[in-house]
Amino acid sequence: MYNENLLNNLSFKEYRLDKLKKYNKLQIPKWKRINLQDFDIPDYREYNNLQLPGHEDLDIRDMGTVKEDINEFTRYLRVNEEFGVDKKFVTLTEALSNSGVIIKIEKNKRISEPIRLDFKMDNDNPLLLDHNLIIAKRNSELTVVMDYTSNTKVFHSGVTKVYAEDNSNVTIIKLQRMDEDSDDFDSNIAIVGRDAKVNWVSIELGGKITASSFITNLKEDNSKADLKSIYFGDKDMEIDVQYKMNHFGRRSESNINTKGALKDRAKKVFRGDLDFKKGASRSKGEEEEYVLLLDKTVKSDAIPALICGEDDVEGEHAASAGQINELKLFYLMSRGISESQAKKMIVEASFKPVIDKIPYEDLKEKVEENIHRRLIDEKS
Amino acid sequence: MNKKILDIKNLRSKVDETEILKGLDLEMNKGEIHIMMGPNGAGKSTFANVLMGHPKHEIIDGEIIFNDKIINDLSVDKRAKEGMFLSFQYPEEIPGVTVENFLRNAKMTLTGENQGVFAFRKVLKEKMKLLEMDESYASRYLNQGFSGGEKKKNEILQMVVLEPKLAILDETDSGLDIDAIRIVSNGVKAFSNDDNAILVITHYNKILDYLEPDFVHILVDGKIVKTGGIKLAREIEEKGFEEFK
Repeated sequence: MYNENLLNNLSFKEYRLDKLKKYNKLQIPKWKRINLQDFDIPDYREYNNLQLPGHEDLDIRDMGTVKEDINEFTRYLRVNEEFGVDKKFVTLTEALSNSGVIIKIEKNKRISEPIRLDFKMDNDNPLLLDHNLIIAKRNSELTVVMDYTSNTKVFHSGVTKVYAEDNSNVTIIKLQRMDEDSDDFDSNIAIVGRDAKVNWVSIELGGKITASSFITNLKEDNSKADLKSIYFGDKDMEIDVQYKMNHFGRRSESNINTKGALKDRAKKVFRGDLDFKKGASRSKGEEEEYVLLLDKTVKSDAIPALICGEDDVEGEHAASAGQINELKLFYLMSRGISESQAKKMIVEASFKPVIDKIPYEDLKEKVEENIHRRLIDEKS
Repeated sequence: MNKKILDIKNLRSKVDETEILKGLDLEMNKGEIHIMMGPNGAGKSTFANVLMGHPKHEIIDGEIIFNDKIINDLSVDKRAKEGMFLSFQYPEEIPGVTVENFLRNAKMTLTGENQGVFAFRKVLKEKMKLLEMDESYASRYLNQGFSGGEKKKNEILQMVVLEPKLAILDETDSGLDIDAIRIVSNGVKAFSNDDNAILVITHYNKILDYLEPDFVHILVDGKIVKTGGIKLAREIEEKGFEEFK
């Protein structure tokens, strides 16, 4: 079913063929950590729901129909190292992406208004393999918001590659609000140049299986990256998040800040790596994950790691899990607020700084409403 | 006209196996202001926390009768709904929740009545003016980044907005400069009426320059050892707690 015939009429045929060969050799992974086994990748379907946004100062193209500059873009599509949730899902999307965009911003262009991509999935579009390439040339500035939604059980495997060239500033805000029976595999990588900065914002709310990976390569001197994320798991959700900051450049800086809440029987694995490669002297990295456990039946694992191939670096990591601070609860309840309402307030408050990063009021409200509704739902 | 609002009989409590309150008796009527004083470690803050239902403190004997109801086993929020209020010695910071939203929410929960945004804002502004607080506090996150004095004023603001039947002020005056004590005391005085009662827990006397208590209680080692009027407080001011130990 996933064969060469599907590649007819698609751009980047040579690149895709190569990836398809790799894909066919790979096994579907088994992950003990979130109990992924005997997983079936659904049959290929077309995806026709993406409206390409327009902007006069940007080069925005559909990944499936690019005819020009193939060589230039292919150079960016090729990432030498392994990245993503798993090779199988990454090569699937690289070979057979049925959607995705290329956004290029030329040097010295700074665009303050965000570019919005709505990836809607539904009964007619139940499979999304989006391959996105975002290229920020020297001294440019760009914000892209990607909103993934579905109203029914769907499958999503996405790959997003970000190039932030010297002195550029790129912000990628990803929202995942898919249906609770859906499966989501999302792989992201950024390559950050000298004095450049990438800001990731990730909001994970939906899916039955939710796996996401954000890898950032701080390639040059003063490369910077900031990752802020929240996740909310309830019912039988399985959440697997992996954040990795690879420090290559001198004085490179990274920060990971994750907040989550788990309810019912939800399960989560957080893996956060700060990897200081040889030569990354005077670099700094910090990571912090805090999860609120709302029920005794949830399961939460955190594996923060600090890898130092260089002495002259500063790395800090912390991960903690806890019930809601009982003194905070006592304080709120002493004003008449019930225990469940107080818990809800504390969870919503801890998510707010990240939700406030969403530059659209309608999306902000939808995210808040989503969390609020599921917090009210006492037992599921 | 006086009506009993609080009746505490032989109250004993422990925290982590340590007994702190060791048989405390206290009666309060509507319209009264009581002051509770005592040396460090006497159990003053414990008493305030036990009354409100702090999760770490356990009642091992005795009864707290509030509004003619035994409330020993009542949850914290239900005690608040009965009309009890605690001004915290160390108020918690709640980032992400603004003072205005929090108070409006609490007011709606306590009264069971909707509070229109604009009508509530008007009331809030008036009360803030009374406490000489800048209006900008309304939109700040609850206690986050507040100085010690600002937190205490914020507690009193909550008291005057929520209008409890019994307000317990746990060391509200400590850490405040003279101006702040005056402002807080004026707030308390303006709040006091024939229908509510106020218990001020303190180990300073400064607040006595502004408030006229009906009763002064001396708490030592988990028990009230003497009750009197303002004269008792003056005595303490001169001689300290030594003779009661």
